Amino acid sequence: MLRQIILNLFGKKPAIGMDAIRAMVGDVAGEPGAGGPARLDAVFKRSIRIRQVDAGSCNACEWECTALGNPIYDVSRFGIDFVASPRHADVILVTGPVSLGMAQALKKTYLAMPEPKIVIACGDCARDGGVYRGAYGVLDGAASVVPVDGYIPGCPPSPAAIMKCIMDILESAAK
Amino acid sequence: MYPENENYIEVSPADFPRKCAEYSRRHFLRMIFAADERELDGHFRVYAVFSPMGEDRFDILTMKLGEDNLSYESITPLVPAAHWYEREMRDMFGIIPEGHPDGRPLCMHGMYGGVYPLRRDVSAADIKKAVDLSREDGYSFMRVKGEGVYEIPVGPVHAGIIEPGHFRFSAVGETIYHLDPRLFFTHKGTEKLFESRGFMDGVELSERISGVSSFSHSSAYCMAVERMAGMEISPRAKAVRTLVIEMERLYNHIGDIGNMCAGTGFALGYAKGALLKESLMALNDRLTGSRYLRGINVTGGVTRDVFDAADDIISTLDGVKTGFKHFMEFLLDSVSHIERLEGTGLLSREIALKMGATGPAARASGISDDIRRAHPHLSYGSLVFEAHTYQKGDVYSRMMVRREEVECSFSIIDSLIECRHEGELRIPAGRFPAGGSALGYTEGPRGSIFYWIKAAGDGSPLRVKVRSASFCNWPLISYAIHGNIVPDFPLVNKSFNLSYSGCDL
Repeated sequence: MLRQIILNLFGKKPAIGMDAIRAMVGDVAGEPGAGGPARLDAVFKRSIRIRQVDAGSCNACEWECTALGNPIYDVSRFGIDFVASPRHADVILVTGPVSLGMAQALKKTYLAMPEPKIVIACGDCARDGGVYRGAYGVLDGAASVVPVDGYIPGCPPSPAAIMKCIMDILESAAK
Repeated sequence: MYPENENYIEVSPADFPRKCAEYSRRHFLRMIFAADERELDGHFRVYAVFSPMGEDRFDILTMKLGEDNLSYESITPLVPAAHWYEREMRDMFGIIPEGHPDGRPLCMHGMYGGVYPLRRDVSAADIKKAVDLSREDGYSFMRVKGEGVYEIPVGPVHAGIIEPGHFRFSAVGETIYHLDPRLFFTHKGTEKLFESRGFMDGVELSERISGVSSFSHSSAYCMAVERMAGMEISPRAKAVRTLVIEMERLYNHIGDIGNMCAGTGFALGYAKGALLKESLMALNDRLTGSRYLRGINVTGGVTRDVFDAADDIISTLDGVKTGFKHFMEFLLDSVSHIERLEGTGLLSREIALKMGATGPAARASGISDDIRRAHPHLSYGSLVFEAHTYQKGDVYSRMMVRREEVECSFSIIDSLIECRHEGELRIPAGRFPAGGSALGYTEGPRGSIFYWIKAAGDGSPLRVKVRSASFCNWPLISYAIHGNIVPDFPLVNKSFNLSYSGCDL
């Protein structure tokens, strides 16, 4: 199914609006890598549910995640959904440098997710604190609180970059 | 030594509250903040920035507090808009406003060990050493007692893709009796971080204080640095900044009007708004290389001339103008949507004025205050436009103010493109005078944004005060939501569209 997503996104079978996406995101629109996500398909059964947690972000990353739901990107057509409860989530997408105030909430959200679970750190702040690295109120990245499976670079990463990286990370996590 | 329109007035601590009350009658209170200036003259200082209605001037009341006596009589009982500022100073400096009606901490959650982070002799390492993540917060929420009253705790992690904060509703049936917000979960220590960088290196941090106000924040920050160093940027750089600030307002306001549809469950309206916003974001990206307009502001000017892409701006905005016109007609024809907006989330003019509201939230409650007009800066002095006001103060008024401001931004951009703007894109850095200070400001999409910076003896930053629009407007939500039903909270909240990160710093 993920192969289908990737083909739809960047391959020969464009879905509605894909030309528009391609025009906007030349930077991430490459050919999909080899190797099938068959195991992921088995694990996630054609649906990936993401719980997004803002751990002190400036809110730009959140707006790009929100944009994924707009009619141009419309990720739900690929079986990707952002969900309200960690109990429903396969993936936790962390943004922000992890402010002290959010450390416990992030941990609790992670613990509330059922296995198997994948942690993605989205944006430069979640990677290593980004521009906030070294500030007294931050823990310099998501990995200080939860085990991170993959990173999405960018400040903020564009919606298309987030989409592409989520798929890459899920693919490599399945291997 | 000070920029032209800044008028500092020394007041004794005993007179300070009374003077503030006197000024607040005919002035807008812009902000109150403290600075640890012991290394300069052995004192802490408190500043209260006022601007007289109808004059481009800042009257800045200031008082000295000795290290041995850091308390003074609270201003809040006389000037309610001071309440958060005073709690902030207490948390960050240990300056005690005697008689403040709210003794609870504001910015510092329980894990911080009672250190005062913005004191100059406290280092980031000292603060981290005192932190204990398992320490109980012990925050006491305001309780409403009586038969049938129950509490709904929400957050800090919310159901949607939004920023974290905790809301404690006290409701009777479906009706909200009181909302007590507990914010500052995203407090990162931004102001202290500014101090550890040079003034020239603070721009990228100011761009990341609040995602969708990146450019307004960096413009205000750059303006403060330039004013302090006596750098007069070129008319061309000013025009670029003005245009990009209006671009930021456009995508915010149109996005906000669309998001209000999400608050009423109006999926088609939400989708239409999101499409318009997306085409503006794509334009941002083409103009500046960033969907959030980052990387274009630098101290001394801008990195590129967006007027080179005037054709793209004109043709894209032509499409957006037509789309927005149809979008608004569509919304105003949708009775079920409009019916939810009218009379919802009322903020009276009296409360808005007393509590120091700013931006579209203030203008929707009949307060004609817009920094672009009150303190003409950048190219605003040569442009003709109005401060758009509505009187009722409901969600509908806040939507309509944004609608008029969108039209206004279109015409500002048009007039900027019609003229030629001469000069260097960026001028060389000036010198930062020891002990020098300056204000920087602009009207962002959510309201006024203020920076106040002061240099230490060696010209490095002694204090960078950030006052975002959201810091002023967050306390207003409790007033606007009183008496509304719980399902209308997301709608009312969206009509203010406040930043958590910009407030929490």
